[in-house]
Order: sequence, then C-alpha cells, then structure tokens
Amino acid sequence: MSALGWFELIASGLITGGIYALIALGLNLQYGLMRVLNIAHGEFLMLGAFVTWAAQSSLGISPLLMIPVSFLLLAALGLVVHRLAFRRLTRTSPTLDIFEARALMVSFGLMFLVQNFAQGVWGGDLRGYDYLADPVAVGGAQFAGNKLLLFVLALAVSAALIVLLRTTLLGKGVRALMQSPTGARLVGIDTERLHPAMFGVGLGLSGVAGCLLSMSYTISPAMGEPYTVTALIVITLGGFGSMGGALAGGLALGVVEAVGMHFTNPSLKPLLSYGVFIAVLLWKPNGLFTRK
Amino acid sequence: MKESTHRDLIVLFGLTGWALAVPHYGSDFVVSLTLSCLMYAALASSWALFCGATRYISLATSAFFGVGAYASALTLDQLPWLAVVGLGAAVAALVALVMGLAVLHLRGTYFAVLTFGMTELIRHAITYWEKQVTGTVGRVLSVVPERDTVYLTVLALAVGAVAVAIAVRGSRFGLALAGIGADEQRAQTLGVNTRLVKTGGFVLTAAFAGAVGAAMSVRWTYLDPVVVFNPFIGFQTVLIALIGGAATLWGPLLAALVFSLLAETLRLQLPQLYMMSLGLLLILCVLYLPGGLASLRWATFRQWRDDIRDRWRELTTPLKKEAAS
Amino acid sequence: MNGHPLLEAREVTVRFGGLVAVDAVSAAFAAGELVGIIGPNGAGKTTFFNALSGVVAPTDGELFAQGVRLTGAPAHRYAHHGIARTFQTPRVFADLSVAANIDFGLQFAGRGRSASWLLKDEESILNLIGLATQAALPAGAITPSQQRLLEIGMALATRPKLLLLDEVAAGLTEAEINQMAQLIRRLRDELDLTVIWIEHAVTTLLNYVERVIVLHQGKKIADGLPSEVVRNAEVVEAYLGDEMVEPA
Repeated sequence: MSALGWFELIASGLITGGIYALIALGLNLQYGLMRVLNIAHGEFLMLGAFVTWAAQSSLGISPLLMIPVSFLLLAALGLVVHRLAFRRLTRTSPTLDIFEARALMVSFGLMFLVQNFAQGVWGGDLRGYDYLADPVAVGGAQFAGNKLLLFVLALAVSAALIVLLRTTLLGKGVRALMQSPTGARLVGIDTERLHPAMFGVGLGLSGVAGCLLSMSYTISPAMGEPYTVTALIVITLGGFGSMGGALAGGLALGVVEAVGMHFTNPSLKPLLSYGVFIAVLLWKPNGLFTRK
Repeated sequence: MKESTHRDLIVLFGLTGWALAVPHYGSDFVVSLTLSCLMYAALASSWALFCGATRYISLATSAFFGVGAYASALTLDQLPWLAVVGLGAAVAALVALVMGLAVLHLRGTYFAVLTFGMTELIRHAITYWEKQVTGTVGRVLSVVPERDTVYLTVLALAVGAVAVAIAVRGSRFGLALAGIGADEQRAQTLGVNTRLVKTGGFVLTAAFAGAVGAAMSVRWTYLDPVVVFNPFIGFQTVLIALIGGAATLWGPLLAALVFSLLAETLRLQLPQLYMMSLGLLLILCVLYLPGGLASLRWATFRQWRDDIRDRWRELTTPLKKEAAS
Repeated sequence: MNGHPLLEAREVTVRFGGLVAVDAVSAAFAAGELVGIIGPNGAGKTTFFNALSGVVAPTDGELFAQGVRLTGAPAHRYAHHGIARTFQTPRVFADLSVAANIDFGLQFAGRGRSASWLLKDEESILNLIGLATQAALPAGAITPSQQRLLEIGMALATRPKLLLLDEVAAGLTEAEINQMAQLIRRLRDELDLTVIWIEHAVTTLLNYVERVIVLHQGKKIADGLPSEVVRNAEVVEAYLGDEMVEPA
C-alpha cells in the first residue's frame, strides 16, 4: 500500500479514535473519581446526538452551536442523575466493593431507562442530517469536512479537559480525590460538591461526543451501547483513572481498528474489539499505560 | 433435615403440582405465559445460586442460553429430546469452564464487565462463523417436539434449579459460596479452595442456562445468532434475580412471576414502557431495597413511612418557622 | 513428625511495584515455639505474615511447611497444612452468628484434621476463647475486642499447628493485654501450637515470648532471645530507643 494509502488509513483511524477518546475521558472521570462504572454512558451520548438532531431539523439550529448546549444539557442531567441515584449509594454502601457493584447495577437500570425512553419518544428508525459533508483535501488525501471538524473538536475538548485537570485548582482537587479520597477530604476538598459536578462533566462530555457524531453519522436509540463498550475498552487499555491513558488509548484503538479492518474482513471489527478488550483485561487488569 | 429445608421442599412440591395442571386446564395463552415464567424462574434461580451468594455479577447468561440453543438446533433431528437438552447443558458447562478459568480470579466489576465482553465475543464469533464459514443465514428447526413436552422439560428445569438451590444452601458448598460472598480472602485462609468452588458454581449456573436454551430453542422455528444470543435474555435474568432478591431462595421465582405478568400485559402494547419500568425498578431496588423483593417485611414499610415523615418534617419546619416569626 | 521445621521462609522477598516490603527474610519455626515479631511502622511485618499464610505470593524466595514447598500456592493450601492466621482488623463474617463463624473453619481446613479435645467442636472453641455466652449473636453485633477473640477462635477452628497472630493486642487496656497474652501462652501450652505474634505493644510481648524477630524496612535485623535483642544496637537505633524496655 502506498504512503498516501497508509496516511488515509491511519488518519481515518485517528478520527474515529478522537471520538473514542472523548467518550472514554468522560467514563474515566466517573470511574476514576467516584468508582462508578457507568455502563449507561453511551445512552447519554445518544441523547446528545438526538437533541442536536432535533434542534437542527425542527429549529434549524446549527450543530456547532449545539456543542456547548448539549454539554450543558447533559451536564445538568448528570447532576440530577447523581443526586437521585448515586448520592444515596455513597451513603448507604458498607464497603467500596459493594458500592461499585451497586453503582454498576444502577447504571444498568439507567441504560434500560434511557434507551427505551428514547425509543419511545423518537422511534427506532435511523435518522441523520447533512452538515459540512463536502470533502476537504489534507496532505493529498480527501476527508469529509464534518469528519475533520469532528476530529479537531474532539481533540480540542479532550486536550482542554486534561489541561484543566492539570492546571486549575479545581482540576488539582479532582486529581487529588482520585488518588486519595481520605487525604483529599482532610485538606478540605469538598467531595460533596465535586462528585456531582464531575459526574455532570462526564455526562456532558458524552453529550458533546454525541453532538459531534450526529454531524457525520446516522443516529438511532440503540447507537449508544457499542460506544459504551468501546469506551470500556479504551479505559481498560489506558488504565482506569488515567486521563492521558484514555486519550492515547482512544486514538490507538481507532487506528488499530482501522488497520485491522482494512487488512482483514470489516465484519471482524466487533470480534477484534472484544478480543483486544478481553486480552487486555486478562493480561493487564490495570491497563497498559499505568505505572505499576 | 432442617425445618426450613423441609418447609421449602413442601412449597416447591405444591408449586410443581399447580404448574403441572396448567397445560390441561389453561388456554394456549396461559400456557405460553407460564412457560415464559418458568423459563425465567429457571434462569434466575440458577443465576442467583452462584451470583447471589458470591456477589459475582455474571452477565454471561445469554452466552450459555444461546450456546445451548445452538447445540439443540444442530442436533435436534439426530438425538432424542432429553439428550438434546443434556447436550445443551454440557456444552454450556464447557464454555463456562473455559470462561471461568480465565476470569474468575478477578474481582467484582472486572468480572461483570468481562463476562459481558465474552458473551458479546461469543455472539459475534458465532455470527461470523455462520455467515462466512457455513454460509447459513439462519437455521430452520424441522423436527419439533410437542408443546407439552417442552413445557414439562422447562418445568423440570425450573423445579430442578430451585431444588438444587435448596440442596446447596444446606451444604458445605453453599457455605463456601456464602463465605466467598462475605469475605473471599478470609474464606480462603480458613481453607476454602475458592477457585474450585467459584468455577463449580459458575459451571452449574451455566449448565442450567444451557439446558433452558436447548429446550426453548424449539419455540423459534427459525434460529439465528441475533435472536438466540440476544443479550436481553441475560440482562432480564440478572434484573429479575436482583429485584427478587439474589441471595434468597424464593425471591428470583417471585420476581419471575411478577415480570412475566408485566411483560405479557405491557410488552405488546408498550414494550418501551415495560423495559423502562424494569430499569426503574432495578434502580429503586438497589437504592432502597438491596435485598430485593424477598426481603420486604412490615418493618421495611414502617421504616419507609418513618423516613418519608422525617424528610417531610425537615422540609417544612423552616417554612413553619418563617410563618411564626 | 519429620525433621523439617514446621514453617520455613528462605530469602522471602515481597515487592509491590517499586516498593520492597519484605527484603530477603529467612526464618525457620519449630514446633512449640512462641515467637514475637516486632519492628517500627512500615517494617513489613504484616506483609511477611501475608507471605507466610499464602495471602500474598513472594516475589522471590521460598516457603516450606514441614518440607513441602508451598511457594506461590493459594492460601487455602497453607490452611490445610495447618497454618492459620488472624487479621489486624478483625475480618469476621458479620451476618453469621458467632458460633457459625467458628464453625466455618471447622467445615473447611479443620475438617478431618486431628486435634486436641479443646478444639473438638464449636462449643469447645467458644469456651476456650471465652465467647460462649455470645454464641448466638451476629458477629457484627459484638464489641471490637470480642471480635478480636472471635478472629482467634476462627483461626483455631482450622485446627492449626501454627498460629499467626497479627496485633491482637492493639487498642486494648493494660489488663486486657495481659489477659490476651495469657490466653496466647495457654494456646501454645495446651494445644501444642507454634505461635508467631506480631505486636506493637513491645513491652508485653517481650515478657511472654521466648524468641524475638525484629524487622526494619523489610529486612530482618535481629533474631534471638528477648534479652539479647533489646541490647542489639541496630534494634535500639531502629526504635530510637523509645519503646524498648528491659524485660522483668
């Protein structure tokens, strides 16, 4: 294959990887901070996509404008969900293991709730709209404009999040909490406010991812689950709780999938993803990128 | 025999008798409803046997069910009925053995996620195999046993699952499972071979799921991986067991009954509402009734009433103070 | 009884990532010994116990129980070889009754092992540790010091030859500590047990044990009679001379 061919292949892998990274970051924030493995994460992505689509088709609002809107909407939803569902668990669970198990089950229930709510409201058909679909030339190869936009924005938001976590006081507080919950509380970091806030941010990120996805791909109420699985694979690769790992893992997975699909059969994609997932979980349960 | 075991067996005997009468007196609809209820009773009870005691949440039921169903579809015209069901159990048990040896050493969340991943892997692998290697798009079942045979088989499996659960509870194996659920490392230092016990429990739960899958496969005249490996079967099993009370004996059965009724009444008109209520019920249960429906007591209701009353007082006292000043 | 020591650790090292918790520690324990293990915080005492009981597999080195190589074996095999342990924070089965907690060990590692009449059944063990009146209570409902005793009872139910006690006297009053020490002595004498005892309350321990091992930063720095160990310069330095008191 020519150099140009490789460039196109890897670039398209990176594009998908950018979205994976964005979703994984949100999931990671929730798990690393609060030990809530939110397997309903993809459903909120789906909500973001549908909200954007609805705004675009009924009200004519530009998807670009919907990026911050979907973030805010989903973040607000995240605050509500945390308040109603997860806060009580923190108080009533005797051990961390029990809390994790219960949180997993609650998010399981959320998955059912949200997916079927969407199905009931919007029906099961595929929807989509066209936005910046014209091809753009980059380095001799052609890419759809909306996909390039998707990549750039996904990367920008991910990078912004990581920078915020590293530089701001709030971000440092979050990272401190991730490393040592008791120690963080002792120095006065307010977990009561930080947990719901970060849960909201996590959902907000998946809302943004959904909004971005709706620009280039068709959407349906069932679209969320595969992305949840992918996000799980990414945070497993990158290490539970590691932000940089989620970013690197997301991009890496996107490329691996693209290359793998190109050289084998495209219908092997799910097999490949799950195979990688299981292999990593078995071989290095703490992720590939964590320092042990 | 312990008194509680005695009582449980009597209840089981009574329920079995009642269930046996259904095909003779009930309409097709009632039989179908009871069959579906028995299926989930068998699946949820056998799931709870292992997962309820050890608190390892397995999401692999769909894989075992599907593997059993496939084994059945492939051998239905060659082997007698009971052998087909037995084969379904055996193949599922084998899959569980392999899966278990690989993943049972991992903790709670990892285990749940891994069983889910492996289930999906198996589903995609078989779909791929069917499409690329054997070239079939689905399998048609030509030789199908009578409705009553299927009913009796599934009834036997449900009764068997509950009976095995009763037996296990009183045995050392059951004690070991409970120890693992309470504090696995502690149990190990007291002499429990945790790996063996976990694998055994996992395989047992899989064997039942596989047998049920093999028996139920004849309800679909046309089998393809999407239908048979539907992850929803596994999810619903877990939901039912958890809502009913995974650590109890009768909880999963009770919940299976409730949900079969709910499913039949809602599913055709408002399938989304049914699923949404499942999800909502699970959330409510985990938050307010972690022991499941089976742990409901009068004391629980009183506690809820007191909690609500306290909350109401909390919310209204500042208003009263303002009004007074 | 063959000529091998009851439990032998050879150059056992336990590493967690970059941290070396236990550094090439060797020790052999014979039947009937009453040994104390002391050391400042972070010395690796509990990790060493974890290695001795199979809870943690050593990164390097070997472990033998009566000549049988147990390195890397899961903890239940150690239990079946007669090595029992308690945990620093009592890990009892809170939802089971006190009697059922004791019965657990009897059902598994203790099953089929010959033992003294004192460990005949739950009742005898409960009497031995002094929890007979609490037998029917759920283990989560008894006091922490009672739970400490229950921990020991659970370990005894496995009918061990060697008992590893991890800081059983922590947080107890002076009188309670002496009671505990006397119980331990009694266990050794009447049950023919080897007892290895980690303790922070160095004073008491030194009065009751016959041999002391001192760990510091994962290494063994002393191993001998209490009277010799207290005079060991390295040991004194490790403790900064504060807690060492000459035995009476």
